[in-house]
Amino acid sequence: MVRVKSRYLLCEIGGSDRSSLLLLDDRAVAVAVKAAVARTHGDYGAALCSIRFSVKYLNTHTGMVLLRFPKSCYRLLWSALPFITNIETHRKNVPCFLNCVHVGGTIRTCQKFLIKYNQQQLHRMLPECEKEEEKQQIREAILSCSLIPETFEDELESDDDDITQRSERWRPQFS
Amino acid sequence: MNCSNKKEEPAVYQRVVLKNAAPYRYLKVCLVLEDDSTRLSAVDLKHFIITGLRNLHGEVGAALPFDLLKYDENTLTALLRVYSRGLVKLWSSLTLLGSYQNQACAFRVLQVSPFLLALSGNSRELQLD
Repeated sequence: MVRVKSRYLLCEIGGSDRSSLLLLDDRAVAVAVKAAVARTHGDYGAALCSIRFSVKYLNTHTGMVLLRFPKSCYRLLWSALPFITNIETHRKNVPCFLNCVHVGGTIRTCQKFLIKYNQQQLHRMLPECEKEEEKQQIREAILSCSLIPETFEDELESDDDDITQRSERWRPQFS
Repeated sequence: MNCSNKKEEPAVYQRVVLKNAAPYRYLKVCLVLEDDSTRLSAVDLKHFIITGLRNLHGEVGAALPFDLLKYDENTLTALLRVYSRGLVKLWSSLTLLGSYQNQACAFRVLQVSPFLLALSGNSRELQLD
């Protein structure tokens, strides 16, 4: 009995346009997940969800969210995630779906996966760009993707700034 | 096959033990209501149990397949059948069902067994004359 273990689920929010995704905040996502778990698994699920559930990271520009669940019941709570059809913020209802991309035991492993995943997304975006400066920006962003602890926030920010200008072409595989 | 070349092998005994291998569990339950004269039909009772499952275990619990095999309207005693993996969900939601149409109620679970034949006799209600 050494340490308390959790599972971190890295999910991608998809299915709606970029501008409405920007309205989301972590409390809205938490409320949506809790409501879906209560609907799907009743009082028992709602009680399991209240133990160690939280939204650890939310990136509205890329639509990635990191959820934490207790290790003993994460599969039950994971099974309720496909039943989320929309997330309600204080002003409007954003229709979306959650798609789990990675399950990790610690935040650090999820962070490493997220960097590789973002790099793959940038590689996919490169052929779709028309203007030469955009291509140059993406090439620089790809080259600068790395895990350096104190500048990790900066790396993710630099990816995001390039991407927001091309928000409509972020998901080439869904186009 | 050359049986003469093979040396004699001792007979091998193998014991296979199956624990909790029965597919179904049968429950004999009795519904006790505050007002003794209320009567429920079989459909009402099944709907009531499904509401209890939905409250405790959500939509997944309400989809649990169970059967009402026998029902006695006068004593409100029923025989339920459920798959073995669903026994815990069903029994826990029967325990936590507290009210039927604004009157207090309770489910008394009299017998649980993986064999239906075992529910035919009950040593608690045995009368030796």
